[in-house]
Amino acid sequence: MKDLKKAWITICFVGLLALVPLLTKSEYLVNLLVMFFLYVTLSESWNLQGGFNGQISLGHSAFFGIGALITRLLWISKVPILLALIGGALSSILLAGIVGIPCLRMKRGYFPIGTLGLAIIAQITVGNILPVPGSLPSEYIVGYSLVSRYYLALSVATLSLLVVYFVVRSRMGLAFVAIRDDEEAAEAVGIKTFRFKVKALLISAFLAGLGGGVFAYHQVSYYYQSPFELSWSFLPTLTTFIGGLGTVIGPIFGSVCFLALNELFAFTLGEVHLVIFGFTFVMIVLFVPGGLMSISQKILSLLKYPGRSRGTTTLSN
Amino acid sequence: MWQTLVFGILNGALYGIISLGIALVFGIMKYLNVAHGSLIIVGAYGSLFLFRLGVDPFASIPVILVALFLGGAILFLSFFNRLIEFPEAAKIKNSLLIGFGLMLVIDNLATLIWTGDERSMTPSYSGITFQIFGLRLPLIGLSGAVLALLLIFVLHLFLSRTYFGKAVRAVSQDHEAASLMGIDVSRTFLISFAISVSLASIPSVLIGLQSFSPTAGIQWFNKGIIVVMLSGIGNIYGVFPAGLFLGIIEALSVFLFGATYREVTGLVVFVLILILFPRGLLGSGAES
Repeated sequence: MKDLKKAWITICFVGLLALVPLLTKSEYLVNLLVMFFLYVTLSESWNLQGGFNGQISLGHSAFFGIGALITRLLWISKVPILLALIGGALSSILLAGIVGIPCLRMKRGYFPIGTLGLAIIAQITVGNILPVPGSLPSEYIVGYSLVSRYYLALSVATLSLLVVYFVVRSRMGLAFVAIRDDEEAAEAVGIKTFRFKVKALLISAFLAGLGGGVFAYHQVSYYYQSPFELSWSFLPTLTTFIGGLGTVIGPIFGSVCFLALNELFAFTLGEVHLVIFGFTFVMIVLFVPGGLMSISQKILSLLKYPGRSRGTTTLSN
Repeated sequence: MWQTLVFGILNGALYGIISLGIALVFGIMKYLNVAHGSLIIVGAYGSLFLFRLGVDPFASIPVILVALFLGGAILFLSFFNRLIEFPEAAKIKNSLLIGFGLMLVIDNLATLIWTGDERSMTPSYSGITFQIFGLRLPLIGLSGAVLALLLIFVLHLFLSRTYFGKAVRAVSQDHEAASLMGIDVSRTFLISFAISVSLASIPSVLIGLQSFSPTAGIQWFNKGIIVVMLSGIGNIYGVFPAGLFLGIIEALSVFLFGATYREVTGLVVFVLILILFPRGLLGSGAES
């Protein structure tokens, strides 16, 4: 019953979002929502590896970037966009297989710093090889329609949400969580920990690559290295931690907060929203490991069972 | 070729000093302070402020050192002291995340306060170079190398000759046993962390004499962490040769592949070391 309810809520929500471009003519709103879907895709992808499997990766900008790069290059050489998107995602898996798997073999605790190194290598290398802005050919710009970008971004975000949801509920997801909670214990009960860490990495890279493809399809002109920038690694880390690490809804929540703050402070120099977000992030790492989701759940349960909480407060008073 | 190598060695000395602070806190406490680079940049702004008031950059080192020591103590008391009891892998992970959050805060605050412009300090002697065997040796780079050697010597004396240094080494070997022997572990951690941050004062002046901007912190942290991995965790004496090694590798890569891949070479070496020699290249890596 609960699953059915969840399914209905999701369908209604996606359906409502699908109606948005029919109801509004505001390009600002549609662009904002495309960015939101992009953030959700990237955060969910990061969350599968960082939140459910406990492997904090700072290298997602490399997967996102390679997805964007290959999709863009295939697409402007006249490959249909859906095929180009798949090509981008596959290239992201390939990159994860070549450079990410060795990182998983590193000593415990060094995975984040190793992947950060890889992300910087990727950014500098692409910046050196392709230092030019990648503009669309003129015939593509003439046929540019924001609505098709919107629906592609929406479908990719929904897909990543579904993938994460079903992977987490499968046996594989159980193994991921077991490895996160106690790697030795997981190994002891017969989980092939390395194999599952690789699986989490590859699925995560696939989704990040898809997200990169959407970025390449949506942006008219950008420097080839800009999707490789480290902020694309930091963003999903921030949104997932702040929303709620290891929950499916958390990254969505975190992305909403991030976008809202971003828009609020859009015109100030030095990105005030990053100051606020960075500070919140530190506080959450230190004090609220469950993120904002767990706070809202606590408040909900307080509202639901006011008697119980009041009882404890009067006791302590 | 030889000239490039000389500059590589002088750069390497700078990398050595940067990584000393990171190595100290990583070796003793297993904290990975990602914000160290950003603190260096903050120190550079402090030095620039004093320079504009007429203080010589090298004379401003003591002031910056004390300020960073206090700042480090505050950072430790407000954030990092909660991780003391964690197991090693969790310590690295959580300190990295906290440092990363602090880096975002510090970098963006710095951009708000001082704008994103590139700054540098240019005292009257900044252009002076010596000629030896046809090689040019800049005065500032040389004094950086001398300061690096001096700093390592002082740190060595501090760790090997003082009672507190003994406590630091004991805590880094086994903090439970150390606390059973009556060492105040959290106080030792606090002071080591503050010292580590105060060590950022010398690179901040040296970087201030080159050029810096609010977001350059992570770039310098990268150099530092590469050197720490090269020298082996917990090995403070390996830091200086490892820094020189990185400087020379970079110089060679500039010579072979051009200046654009300078940053990449160090990182490739770093990732390869992480994969192939998880305990570092030099030294046995005295770890618990």
